[in-house]
Amino acid sequence: MDNFFEVKNVDFIIDGKTKVKNMSFSIEKEGDIVCLLGPSGIGKTTILRAIAGLQKIKNGHIKLKGKVLASDEINIEPENRNISLAFQENSLFPHYTVEKNILLGLEKNADNKDKQISFKEIVDILDISQILNQYPHQISAGEAQRASLARSLLSKPDLLLLDEPLSNVDQSHKEDIQEKLKKMLSKLKITTIIVTHDSYEAFYLGSKCGIILNNQLKQYDDPYNVYHLPNSIEVVNFLNRGILIPAKVTSPKSLENEELGTITGNFVKPFPLGADVKLLIQPEDLEHDDKSNLQLEVVDRKFRGTNFIYTLKTFKNLLIPVFVHSHHIHQHDVQEKFGIKRPIHIEHLVCF
Amino acid sequence: MKKINFWYLSSFLISFVVIIPIITVGISFFEETSNYYKILKDTFLVEYILNSLTLLLLVLIFTFIIGTGTAYLVSFFKFPLSDFFKWALILSFAVPPYIYAYSLTAFFENYGIAYTILTNLFGEGEYNKIIPKVNGMFGATLSMTFSLFAYVFILSRASFLYQSQNLIDLGKNLGFSRFKSFFNIILPAARPAIVAGLSLVAMETLAEFGAVDFFSINTLTTGIYNSWIAFDDLAFANRIASLLLLFIFSLFIIENLSRKKAKYHFNIKGGFKQKEKTKLFGYKSFLAFIFCFFIFFMSFLFPLSQMLYWTIKFPENLLDLQIITLLLNTLYLALLSSFVLIIFSLISNYGNRVTNNKILNILSTLSISGYAIPGVILAVAFITFIAWFDNTIVKSLGFLSIKKVFIGSILGLVIVYFIRFYSLAFNGIKSGYEKINIAVDESAYLLGYSKRKTFTNIHIPFLRNSLLFIIILISLEIIRELPITLILRPFNFETFATTAYISASEDLLEAAAVPSLFLILIASFFIIIASKYILRENNG
Repeated sequence: MDNFFEVKNVDFIIDGKTKVKNMSFSIEKEGDIVCLLGPSGIGKTTILRAIAGLQKIKNGHIKLKGKVLASDEINIEPENRNISLAFQENSLFPHYTVEKNILLGLEKNADNKDKQISFKEIVDILDISQILNQYPHQISAGEAQRASLARSLLSKPDLLLLDEPLSNVDQSHKEDIQEKLKKMLSKLKITTIIVTHDSYEAFYLGSKCGIILNNQLKQYDDPYNVYHLPNSIEVVNFLNRGILIPAKVTSPKSLENEELGTITGNFVKPFPLGADVKLLIQPEDLEHDDKSNLQLEVVDRKFRGTNFIYTLKTFKNLLIPVFVHSHHIHQHDVQEKFGIKRPIHIEHLVCF
Repeated sequence: MKKINFWYLSSFLISFVVIIPIITVGISFFEETSNYYKILKDTFLVEYILNSLTLLLLVLIFTFIIGTGTAYLVSFFKFPLSDFFKWALILSFAVPPYIYAYSLTAFFENYGIAYTILTNLFGEGEYNKIIPKVNGMFGATLSMTFSLFAYVFILSRASFLYQSQNLIDLGKNLGFSRFKSFFNIILPAARPAIVAGLSLVAMETLAEFGAVDFFSINTLTTGIYNSWIAFDDLAFANRIASLLLLFIFSLFIIENLSRKKAKYHFNIKGGFKQKEKTKLFGYKSFLAFIFCFFIFFMSFLFPLSQMLYWTIKFPENLLDLQIITLLLNTLYLALLSSFVLIIFSLISNYGNRVTNNKILNILSTLSISGYAIPGVILAVAFITFIAWFDNTIVKSLGFLSIKKVFIGSILGLVIVYFIRFYSLAFNGIKSGYEKINIAVDESAYLLGYSKRKTFTNIHIPFLRNSLLFIIILISLEIIRELPITLILRPFNFETFATTAYISASEDLLEAAAVPSLFLILIASFFIIIASKYILRENNG
């Protein structure tokens, strides 16, 4: 059966420069949410613009509901695609009030009874009732972004594209809106592609995440796998949530590090016995134990509200992050010793 | 077959039509000229150039001082009538240099108004000896300065208003005096705006025909007019025109080079803090008021009262003229041309926006240089082109001559006005468009709007106020315009401007007063409407 949405072998080009090469990914069923993650300037917005029809493609194809929207020969105009894009910048019509702007979304697909959502409901969810009578230049960037999102949602698109939808929204609103947005999208079964550089946002909202690095889609998988089972060193570095330490494979379920000793677990992909590898250690992989004989020096401590991330220095100057719950009975200051529980067991042994 | 892009094609054609006279002038530079060229080259050409340069330099210095001085005072300080001067000083636009020249002459001439005032005040006397004579270069400089300084005033004021309080506070923080702040911070930050204002003054000065002709100063513009009218040497007229164009473009290049890589940012949104005006007291308040009032009086009240005085003194002139016909002719030309300009400039702007094509961009940039070309040159170039087209193409194909359709007709007039003022309309709409983020267009497409619907439902309503303002601005220019109307108007078709010029050129200054007065009044009316827009745009 055909995928609901499909991008196949497409080069995404802007101003003659290829931003993303030979990209392929698909969304199997209607209502799924996919997040594309990558550093700034990598071409995430270019991908959305090409999907929306605002830029042409020269090779491969983009298909929606089995119909080719764009290829080297076909290019359906944006107004005929039934795809909605909520821009990162303010794209509200400057001479209309916020309310009129949002209502314009309703005019499109007015006869579509499948995805009914009321104006009031959407205004409440996005918390924009107080700005309805104002003009775009009178509201903040975050409010404009939410108003634009409301307009896109009301237009009942087959595919909704959100470009950094909450980048200008303050932290206090952000999590609340993310939660409501996710519920609403799933209730309405609106298939959505979200572009963001916030990995937490992507992991929460997306049923799948794509990581774009060095002009390529490096990994396209569900969020758990992207985080715990990154498929390349580049993805590890991009997510910036761990460190690679040298180790030697000693058995099908263990390896040995000179300083940390034996580490057991399940290899994500097999390596021959005796192979020298780089093992990914994430903050959650090691456990704190005051009584352990493996004591390392604390060089930094970051308080993150619910937890601390300690950075420990090994004798060979490797810097290892360790997660500790913030209610842990005592804290360790910089230069103090910090015990690591032994034997070390890591569920997924991610090696390169 | 690939579909022809309507927007691209229309924009291309519009820009191309506007460029034709510019190309014609360029090509004519290499054509054969009559003996007149040789005579003139050996005699008066140097004088033409020197006079044009002297006049340009003097007018630039005075408009800079008056324009930035008054703009600084009304933007940064509160003093009696400072709010009134904000828009009243713009009224000087209503008085074209040639009408100002008539007023100056009438006031200072032997037994003129100054003489009458002195006689009434102090009895009979030899006042003619002590009353200064304002004529020649001095008269032309004064006429143009007071008539044109408003360009610098409006643009520098807009720039001063957008200067953030932070910038002023920074000066205070660095321990700068008010004087030092003005010269080291305020003025340099407003440089692009001031230069833009001065560029307009420069173009108008070099293009001015009525005032220099009245004061009998031989400049490049009068040279062009004379070589065409008196010696029937179109090629030479075009050659001088090319020289003048070269002159104007050199000015732009010098300014651009002198800026080097300096950038001038105005923080309009983030961190912009509205300035608080300083209230002036005592003699400072009085001096600020006197300075602004003097400029307002000299630039507007003086010529207005002069024309009013004559109209009342010689009411028979009022009856001699067919005021209603002149009014209708003037308004007809102004409004018809403005609408044509607005419609075509809108199409061309939108074409540029949606196609984002490099060739079109270059063509548009070239096409707006029409404003830098004096009206006399455009009129001459237009006639040259039509004559060439008629002789080489139309007649060779066996058709009847088309000269009469274009030369001495309303159609011809409108076309040349179109070329001359295209940059006003194009740039005005362009700056309106710059306020519409391209994402707005794209949102419209994604909401299912076609390009045409985006144009009519989103752009036009948004640009409505700008369009109204541009119509007023162009109408104002056309009402004041003299050489194009004079050269290309149909037989027996007169406007207030041409009637005033004809009377003045026959030394009937009193008779020139009535059309001049009406011209000033209509122009003032347009300015008052436009000033509301300018003040609102500039945030008060």
